[in-house]
Amino acid sequence: MGQCFSDVNGGKQAVGGVATAAASGPNDAVDHFFRARGEHSLCTQIELSLSASKLLDLDYTSKSDPMAVVYMKRRDGKLEEIGRTEVILNSLDPTWIQKINITYQFEVVQTLILHVYDVDSKYHNLPVKMLKLQDQDFLGETTCAVSEVVTKRNRSLTLNLHNTNRIRGSGNKGTLTVRADEIVTSRNAIELKFRCSSLENKDTFSKSDPFLRISRASENGGYIPICKTEVVNNNLNPTWKPLFLTMQQFMSKENPLLIECFDFNTNGNHVLIGKVQKSVAEIEALHQSRACANLISPPSGFRHHEKVMKSQIFVDGFVEKQQYSFLDYISSGFELNFMVAVDFTASNGIPTSPNSLHYIDHSGRLNAYQQAIMEVGEVIQFYDSDRRFPAWGFGGKTPNGSISHCFNLNGSPTDFEVEGVEGIMAAYTSALHNVSLSGPTLFGQVINKAADIAGHSLSCNQAKYYVLLIITDGVVSDLQETINSVVKASDLPLSILIVGVGNADFKEMEILDADNGRRLESITGRVATRDIVQFVPMREVHAGQISVVQALLEELPSQFLSYMRCRDVKPLNVPQL
Amino acid sequence: MERKGSPYVIEITVISAEGLRLSRNQPVKKNSCVVLRSDPFNSRTTGMDSEGGSYPAWNEKLLMELPANARFLTVEAHSGSRLVGAASIPVSDFAASFLPVNYLSFLSYRLRDAHGAKNGILNLSVKVIGRPSPTIGCAASCSGGPWPGVPLADGKVAGHGIVTGIPVSYRW
Repeated sequence: MGQCFSDVNGGKQAVGGVATAAASGPNDAVDHFFRARGEHSLCTQIELSLSASKLLDLDYTSKSDPMAVVYMKRRDGKLEEIGRTEVILNSLDPTWIQKINITYQFEVVQTLILHVYDVDSKYHNLPVKMLKLQDQDFLGETTCAVSEVVTKRNRSLTLNLHNTNRIRGSGNKGTLTVRADEIVTSRNAIELKFRCSSLENKDTFSKSDPFLRISRASENGGYIPICKTEVVNNNLNPTWKPLFLTMQQFMSKENPLLIECFDFNTNGNHVLIGKVQKSVAEIEALHQSRACANLISPPSGFRHHEKVMKSQIFVDGFVEKQQYSFLDYISSGFELNFMVAVDFTASNGIPTSPNSLHYIDHSGRLNAYQQAIMEVGEVIQFYDSDRRFPAWGFGGKTPNGSISHCFNLNGSPTDFEVEGVEGIMAAYTSALHNVSLSGPTLFGQVINKAADIAGHSLSCNQAKYYVLLIITDGVVSDLQETINSVVKASDLPLSILIVGVGNADFKEMEILDADNGRRLESITGRVATRDIVQFVPMREVHAGQISVVQALLEELPSQFLSYMRCRDVKPLNVPQL
Repeated sequence: MERKGSPYVIEITVISAEGLRLSRNQPVKKNSCVVLRSDPFNSRTTGMDSEGGSYPAWNEKLLMELPANARFLTVEAHSGSRLVGAASIPVSDFAASFLPVNYLSFLSYRLRDAHGAKNGILNLSVKVIGRPSPTIGCAASCSGGPWPGVPLADGKVAGHGIVTGIPVSYRW
């Protein structure tokens, strides 16, 4: 109710310049996993920039709100989603800012399938990852091979969109342009804070709603947008939140950047107020001399030449930063420690019944939990430093007759650690024999226990980070209790990975996994400082949407980095200042 | 230099606030500041933020002494002379016994206005610089035993060692 001001309306939020979005870089955790197994012999990271023109218009009162989704065809013919762009409001010729990172393998034919959707306006406040594609209008699709794009001289390829499952006309569905650039891996990044003064007023009844869009010049002419700021409403002297640009985005300090200031209009027809072209080095000089640059208005109407305007742009902040990657920390000796908690509540079904998620098949077929432990275990074992996992169960009735929300999985009263994935499997099987399923489903005690371990580690060794893996069928009895524990743990070196098995409704898990930007709030009024929960539904993984490795490690590097970066913790081999 | 019974020195960095409102549909325009109180006579104030509007940012470090028996800090967000919202911070959030000295805790709190309605979020970081000896034990861990400091108002401690009676009533 009272949220109307803190929520940014769809289309007004910043894209591509947010510091915490470590995921905008290539996910080196996934890459490292494969590389260690020798699966990427010849490969390079590239980023795809997408733009389209003359898209179908499916909205009656306005224009389409397009979003592109990129899939890669796997060897078995299934499509694997690689990434989504942001939604651009009311545009039939969108240029998306969000880049899609892919690993280009030279020796494999990698077929890309590109879909463009019109996103309904009621979904505009949702993060794009949460959008259900079947609810959106399909605008067209096209396909190409990555090598086709990369081998083009200007590294871009324009494809015709077609739309097979729609009756409406067979005419022009528009075109989609894919551009591939090799990713410059560099630790350098800059934080910029821009301010403008005396902007021209473009709105009749109120003042302009300005935002900045920054594009970098590409080698073969033209500009590629790399980020845009949030919209400052009704203000001719706006200050934007700090922008965070990585070397990957701006390429080099000498590369010219085009900074354009627009007036935001909900109909998508953003009016250019003025622009200025500066390289990063020039922006730095501006900041040091505390000078400003005048915006230039493009030729328009009667005027055929550019005009220097009164409006000025200031650089209030310019900080060069070293951005260490997840692997920099891990390879320098930071330890990841995984902990496992398994759901023993009655909602899983009686273990003797074949319908139960806990059913032990004597023919050796793994049940849902065993499958999850095996598949997830393989990944976490790779990143765990000592391969000893504290393992708990919750929601079961222990042999002494009491219901416990955090009992040791191996049945030992004191020692909760087990050795390796086999250890978890053995402890799980033995627990199924000794523990009877009960309820309710409460995560709180397990999370508190994990937070306790993570907290106590702080006093002896800073270089540890904990990940609690909760395998559950997803029906939480007391969501607020869980939220309270999560909020309390959000300040500790801890992430929580929830793996959902079975087909229950996982809506509550999506609340915990605060991907929609709404921060968790405990009953005492404390608010989570960062997102530490990630939810992975196993059924989606099995349906072939994303691989287990990718799904599990999707947010962990960025959660890890958000903890380390805000405390300015550096990798161990870097001299501490 | 330190007074008797106030062995804590904490360094609080008031980072920013989000979505401050003067009334139901009137966002704070400018001149917001934050007041920290450890008791009615002991407070610190940040400077005015003139640019951030309803999303002010201060990034200001404040040093504060905390009496050994203090269990709550109060934070208040003001706009000009008006109190916009307040929250109380349990000391245990940043001084739990297992946290090492100089651990930087990043904390966020929901602010509520005089009527108890939600009004924005305050982000801050807290570092305990000097801490009392463990025998005085002003800190309770989230799983640890009952709080050994000053007895609680109703003197009750829940069975599992979880402290009850956090004074939040005025907000509900």
